[in-house]
Amino acid sequence: MRIRQQASKFIFAAGAILLLATPATNVFARGVELAVPADVIPPEIPEDNQLTQEKIDLGRKLYFDTRISTDGTVGCVTCHDPKHALADGRGAKTSAGVGGAMGTRNTPTVLNAAFLSTQFWDGRAATLEEQAAQPLLNPIEHGFTNTAAVEARIKELGEYAELFKAAFGSDAITLERAAKAIASFERTIISLDAPIDRFLAGEAGAISQSAKRGWELFNTKARCNTCHGHIGAFPLFTDEDYHNLGVGTQALDFAKVAREAAETVAQGKSIDELVLGDAEASELGRFIVSGLPKHLGAFKTPQLRNVALTAPYMHDGSEATLRDVIDFYDRGGNDNPYLDGGMRPLGLTEQERSDLVALLETFSSDDLERFSSLEQEKPAH
Amino acid sequence: MKLEISAAVFVGIFTTVAAGFAPAAIAAQEAVAAQESGPQEITGTPRIAASASAEMPDEVRPATVSQSRTVWACDKRKMVIVEGASPDKKMSPERAQIAAAVLMDLMRFCNEEITARIAIDQKITVAANGHVYENYVVGGPLPIVPASFGQPSKREKMIWKAELDKLIAEGDRLFHNDELSSNGVACAMCHPHASNTHPETYPKFQTQLKKVALLRDMVNWCIINPLEGDALPEDDPRMKAIEAYILSQRAGKTLESGKH
Amino acid sequence: MTNNKTRKELEFALRERSSEHEDLIKSLQNCSRRDFLKVSAKFATMAAALGVIQPHGFQLVNVAHAADSPGAAPEVAFRFAYMSDTHLYARGMDHRFARAAIKAVDDLNALDPQPDFVLFGGDLAQLGRADELDLGYQIIKEIKAPVRMMVGEHDWYLDLGEKWREMFGEDHYSFDHKGVHFVVLNSVVEKDFWTAKGYSPEQRMAIVSGLDDNRQSPFEVGEEQRDWLGQNLAKVDKGTPLVIFSHSPLYKLYKPWNFWTDDAEEVQALLKPFATVSVIHGHTHQLLTNRIGNIHFHGMLSTAWPWPYAPEGLPEYTVQMDRPDPFNQFDGCGDGSVAVRGNGRIDKNYNFWAQSPRTVSAEQLDSGVLKSSGGYKGASY
Repeated sequence: MRIRQQASKFIFAAGAILLLATPATNVFARGVELAVPADVIPPEIPEDNQLTQEKIDLGRKLYFDTRISTDGTVGCVTCHDPKHALADGRGAKTSAGVGGAMGTRNTPTVLNAAFLSTQFWDGRAATLEEQAAQPLLNPIEHGFTNTAAVEARIKELGEYAELFKAAFGSDAITLERAAKAIASFERTIISLDAPIDRFLAGEAGAISQSAKRGWELFNTKARCNTCHGHIGAFPLFTDEDYHNLGVGTQALDFAKVAREAAETVAQGKSIDELVLGDAEASELGRFIVSGLPKHLGAFKTPQLRNVALTAPYMHDGSEATLRDVIDFYDRGGNDNPYLDGGMRPLGLTEQERSDLVALLETFSSDDLERFSSLEQEKPAH
Repeated sequence: MKLEISAAVFVGIFTTVAAGFAPAAIAAQEAVAAQESGPQEITGTPRIAASASAEMPDEVRPATVSQSRTVWACDKRKMVIVEGASPDKKMSPERAQIAAAVLMDLMRFCNEEITARIAIDQKITVAANGHVYENYVVGGPLPIVPASFGQPSKREKMIWKAELDKLIAEGDRLFHNDELSSNGVACAMCHPHASNTHPETYPKFQTQLKKVALLRDMVNWCIINPLEGDALPEDDPRMKAIEAYILSQRAGKTLESGKH
Repeated sequence: MTNNKTRKELEFALRERSSEHEDLIKSLQNCSRRDFLKVSAKFATMAAALGVIQPHGFQLVNVAHAADSPGAAPEVAFRFAYMSDTHLYARGMDHRFARAAIKAVDDLNALDPQPDFVLFGGDLAQLGRADELDLGYQIIKEIKAPVRMMVGEHDWYLDLGEKWREMFGEDHYSFDHKGVHFVVLNSVVEKDFWTAKGYSPEQRMAIVSGLDDNRQSPFEVGEEQRDWLGQNLAKVDKGTPLVIFSHSPLYKLYKPWNFWTDDAEEVQALLKPFATVSVIHGHTHQLLTNRIGNIHFHGMLSTAWPWPYAPEGLPEYTVQMDRPDPFNQFDGCGDGSVAVRGNGRIDKNYNFWAQSPRTVSAEQLDSGVLKSSGGYKGASY
């Protein structure tokens, strides 16, 4: 693995591999440590899925392999494209899967997803492993109807047995292992070097005057920082909480939709399948996961890194540009019975709106170019 | 505790001090002399040792004593003159430490006005109660019999309390009305008797602010958010009053910085 | 009122309102018994099925109307709902407190099926002004279910209840509903602290409206109402379940904030001969649970803001609500409902808007499980 070292503030020499003192049967297991800036708390690695170069290599191949879908057109890369800041660059509000079937949600970026404590807009996956498996089994993403079908497809391809063996010690190809490998690969996709970081580190010239005014607004009048605040040790600009802003809730009869959704889930349909396939059920947000009324229409606060590169916005892609998003917040979101109590009209001037957009543009990583060769990247043995 | 004094100001203050109490009588003479003899002499150290005199010519002094620096204790009653220290430069850590140690030591005599001098050779001379003590050792005996032995008088306490109460009352008023609010919400609505403000836990990471905050940061956050008002400058008298009220209501609590 | 014209206009408005009020009172007769909060109950079950862990991991406090789940307790006979402590300023329908009150009305009207009646728990107004009470009336008249009114100190001390009584009738009264005897008290009577000091009505109101303003007198029911209550209860069989509504808690919790009723012991003595007694009170703006002998006590949530817990005297039966985040004006606020069981014992639901709903059941209070838990102490108060 090669993770480029950006600056001296990175404590760990990227790509360094620690050889673990392991018994002979485990010689494949070589621990990999992630490179993060010194004052950032590194992502949590699950106990049962320690990071190794072999898993990362396997995960990379799986991630880019569009053959692992029912019609052979959809891979992780389809919606999480390195050429588009690891989000969906195809221009639609939401993402399409096999056969062009449209989902209900705008694709979040994989960049820095390793730092997040839940995945998906409603947080229905606690880990990247859980996240990675769900699209494979969703009829409008990779399209497989069951685990065995996914595993059979990977076996058919005939290229994976050795890689699974190297990563997991035996050549058994399982969805669980595939998800672990993909998650391992995704954990390496980290980029925390944007103009805003240099500005916050004291480089006054790193961002424009307009962006500086935007930063002041971000933390005061525009009230962004309560949910999207910057924390040095966790600099993703998200509180990882769920809020109802009124996106997509207009004219939705929450009680009716909730009742129907509850019945559907009680009958055994997966939440993943329900919310991506049913536009109304999708709007229940976190509620479908928690069952708590306070979560009706509430979606996870997304990270803001590279936000300027991941249009359109909101869970349903309903806001086309950053300026639209600012206008949305300026009017206090859309009124609905479950609107978050922190929403209120902001009274931003034209200039202030421009300043906020200028600020958000400084959240884009400088080094995204390196991800364009992500597929070819080979371990630095 | 450190106060930098320019030469001219130094003379002014020193004269005032000298006029106010007995021990620096000698120094007062010297200060007057310094004033009379022009600016270049002002940087010369006012001599407080018994042997010092206004007539002492410059050439008699060691060259390095041609300048000095004066440091006051926070009570403005104790002063130490560090000979050889430049008024324009930081003192060496060693000499600064000695100066601080002398001042802290002299704080034993709470109400007394005392002047000390640290010579180039680090010898300490202390002038107090109209007497001069040479070769003073920090922590050593000083035959001072303070009138109140460091205890503030009843009247002083009354004066101080009246001033404190005035500030707290102003904070109480601001805390309970909607003067800082645009929407009628007042601090006391969520914090009767400043409850649930826990000033004793600051500084701490404040989740709403996404950073480590002091009490005043959270006061301003509350003014902006629930009260929908305008933040106060940190040194605004109203901010000080609010802090005073909150802290007074939580008197006696154990400091638990960082507690959540 | 500052000028004659305004005063006249208001008087006119009040006359109009009085006739509307009569209609309101008439509509109080309309009741029915049906299931309640069906949607929330279903989702509580669903959340449990999904293994969603509730905050605190408290098994002893039911969640999300889980009082509906099957158990040993007798079947629910009927339900009523409540909203309380709106503290309205006459600053229009867009003011945050008005918005919150409207939110509660929307909640109550969305209950399916509807509650038998809605109790308003007092403190409709903030400073007892006619225009505040008028705004309050405009909001609560939208409640579909019949409404029972209770007075709070914020409604009373500008004109000593003149306007409130003109609008809503007697400040203490009783009614019977499906075998339960209900009593509404005015527990915010204060001994005259104003005449001797020469306080104006506005000053008197300002002092009383300050929770921690100790220039006022302690709350009491007073001898006159105690006599009335004694006579009223004399006609009621001792086996008849009683539900008493009071604005202040009918026990002594914390005097400096009037979380207190000065003649609580005398009132409790009148209730003691009855087998089943529940007291539901406002004023404290928080989840609050107590039991003294045969009497169960429950607080009501405010729609406007939560009070902190008193620094001392908190009943050991109280498992505290979460500490609210003031960024969200709805956090710590809400409304709720009460399930009256066939044996007349009640389960009290707190419908927190931004926290997990909580139900405190009669069973929990009777069994002592709440007390033995030692209560839940939140963050430092």
